[in-house]
Amino acid sequence: MHKLSTKKAFIAYALFGWALVLVADRVSELRVYQGATIAILTLAIASIILLTGYSGQVSLGHGAFLAIGAYGAAIAQSYWGSPFWFTFLIAILVSAAFGFILGFAAGRLSGPYIAGTTLALAVGLPTLANQFAFLGGETGLVYDAGSPPARFGEEFTLYKWFFWIAALVVLISIFLLRNLLNSRFGRNWKALRANPTAAALAGVNVASSKILAFTISAGVAGLAGALLGMISIVAPSAFPLSLSFTIITGAVLAGVTSLLGSMLGAVVLVVVPEIADAIAHRLGDSEKISTNLPGFIVSALLILTVLFSPNGPAEAMRKRREAHAKH
Amino acid sequence: MISLGRKKSVLAAVAVTSFALVASAVPANAVDGVSATEIKLGITVPQTGPAATGYNKVAPAMKAYFDYINASGGVYGRKIKLVIKDDGYKTQSAIDATNDLLLQDKVFALVGQLGTANHIAVASKVQLAKRGVPSLFLNTGFSEFADKSKYPTSFMHFPSYATEAKVLSTYIKDNFAGKKACLLAQADDFGDDAARGFATAGITFGETVRYVSGSQSSAAAAGWVQKFAGAKCEVVVTFSVTTATTVLLGAAAALKFAPQWILGSVGADPTTIRIASGNPQAAALLSNAISASWLPDAADTSDRFVKFFREVNAKYNNNVDFDANVMVGMNAGMLTVQALRAAGSNPTRQSLINAIETKGRTFVSAAFAPYGVSDSTHAGYTGFWIGKFNASGALSPVDTGRTIYVTDSAAGPVNKVAPKRAKLPAKGIPTNS
Repeated sequence: MHKLSTKKAFIAYALFGWALVLVADRVSELRVYQGATIAILTLAIASIILLTGYSGQVSLGHGAFLAIGAYGAAIAQSYWGSPFWFTFLIAILVSAAFGFILGFAAGRLSGPYIAGTTLALAVGLPTLANQFAFLGGETGLVYDAGSPPARFGEEFTLYKWFFWIAALVVLISIFLLRNLLNSRFGRNWKALRANPTAAALAGVNVASSKILAFTISAGVAGLAGALLGMISIVAPSAFPLSLSFTIITGAVLAGVTSLLGSMLGAVVLVVVPEIADAIAHRLGDSEKISTNLPGFIVSALLILTVLFSPNGPAEAMRKRREAHAKH
Repeated sequence: MISLGRKKSVLAAVAVTSFALVASAVPANAVDGVSATEIKLGITVPQTGPAATGYNKVAPAMKAYFDYINASGGVYGRKIKLVIKDDGYKTQSAIDATNDLLLQDKVFALVGQLGTANHIAVASKVQLAKRGVPSLFLNTGFSEFADKSKYPTSFMHFPSYATEAKVLSTYIKDNFAGKKACLLAQADDFGDDAARGFATAGITFGETVRYVSGSQSSAAAAGWVQKFAGAKCEVVVTFSVTTATTVLLGAAAALKFAPQWILGSVGADPTTIRIASGNPQAAALLSNAISASWLPDAADTSDRFVKFFREVNAKYNNNVDFDANVMVGMNAGMLTVQALRAAGSNPTRQSLINAIETKGRTFVSAAFAPYGVSDSTHAGYTGFWIGKFNASGALSPVDTGRTIYVTDSAAGPVNKVAPKRAKLPAKGIPTNS
């Protein structure tokens, strides 16, 4: 077995992107919207995989970085008139800056203490929106991707436009992350996660590596937040505490060390409510069932994953392939 | 991490391409919402969360009226099905719920959407206009929703906040000239719209407090009261949601601050104030407060529309505590039935929009003020009567003739006219075409 070269990986990603464009052109609008959501969750989960799966730091409040990125992008667009595509860069920089600051704390903390710190951030941050009128209160800020270019025709819906933007941004980001994780930085983070003392003895600067991981992870999460704001709204209600838990759940289902698995985790998160709806419908449209069933199914999947495939199905498949190749 | 062999990479590429081509063959579905036996409508409202108190009655009341119509044969033989989604009064949830209504439930039209910010976000993000989805009888008074060029498929139900502000301004000038007036308003489009109306009417406030939506609390209200008391306000006007009005009146009572209250209609429902405060006697806080209304008072059982809606409420809505929210829901339901009838026996989304634009002004309803829709504006009702609350929370007209103050959202004059209302159709079932 060998990893794809950067060139081949680029071709694979481009092919996948092309396939997505073809699919989006033919499926219903609901599926296209769900596709955009999957793409955004994929990126959010990837930020957790970088942080937890590689550098070994746990964040329970990563939704806060999504919110910071989204608000950064929306403020840049609403108040400074920044072009839409440029606001993605703002989202990355603002949330990365917050990540950098939190990374300092993370450098001094470990395990549950980092988790607690990030959790506090996710709990406290949304309430700030109610304190400052320029953040729009509960109603939030509108962050507008604009209409699709006229040359795509009348039939080209806004949701397809969202999907195209989200898929393109996410594919590029995941490709860059893949290269980053395959680089010296990725190896340093892996060493850090496996044994910080051994990593330090091997010449890895533990503190700066942790801060770097936190900064990049926050930047990626911020970008995902801007994309989320694009398809919905930039308001406290778009970034509840449950969003942080949703992302972590997706990461665990994906296998927290597998970048490829992040898409699988995102698919599960989007598909499960639909399955639950179908079951609730069969059981007579019970509101109680349709409200509680998605949580029940995701929880069951989470337990099963931790019990039978703690590194996630994607990682399990990879190991099986490797074992098969050895024989 | 990606780690495929060369052969498997090729296979994966082939699989992806095949998947794409197979998926390409799946046709996209058309959305309609009208079948031979049913018309499916959708609404998103706060059924849970802090804003649910009171507002959670609107959709069930509308559904109750539709059930009553369905029991009488429906509209041209079709039963009306109302799909209700909870948005928790949150913009994000309103967008998600509307997406569900349009893409999954495939409703024909939206009806009675509630909340200014929610509908702005929904109209923009879900692109109601581009999709041609009618959004009927909005339960918000934001003036801009009347702008046909901006919201070509949305129709207002409530009179605008600017209209209400102009009406209240006239009353203040007539009755409280020379007194120091102050304003509490929500710091968003809701409050801005009202502020524009007051400015147009030439009212200036000695003290203005703006609160961010969601920040209202007893502690915050004590701060508002101290500001008003410090500024020696003699008349305090509110354009706030009911929870904000509730904490304001509670704090004022506790701090013994007793100006002449003039309460915007959105935040002055006594039943909701009772529930929001958790105090069955809280309606007494409203005693002597002035407010404006476009519907009859829910407690006025001598009104033929109130009497009829109460009967429907008893039979089809579990006889819930009858209040202004129930009236709003049923009134929107009655307008909707007339709109569907006016759209003809084979309605399309466009024919529904055309029908309201051309015939909406003739629709019968419980409102005392004229319905302002036309082919150039999608305005809701255009006026109010002024009333005073008693200690039990009933609102009675300040004058014996129940003068209706009619105006627009812009710079037009405020005209005082006698109330004029079409007769309730037999058994409350519209027969228009």
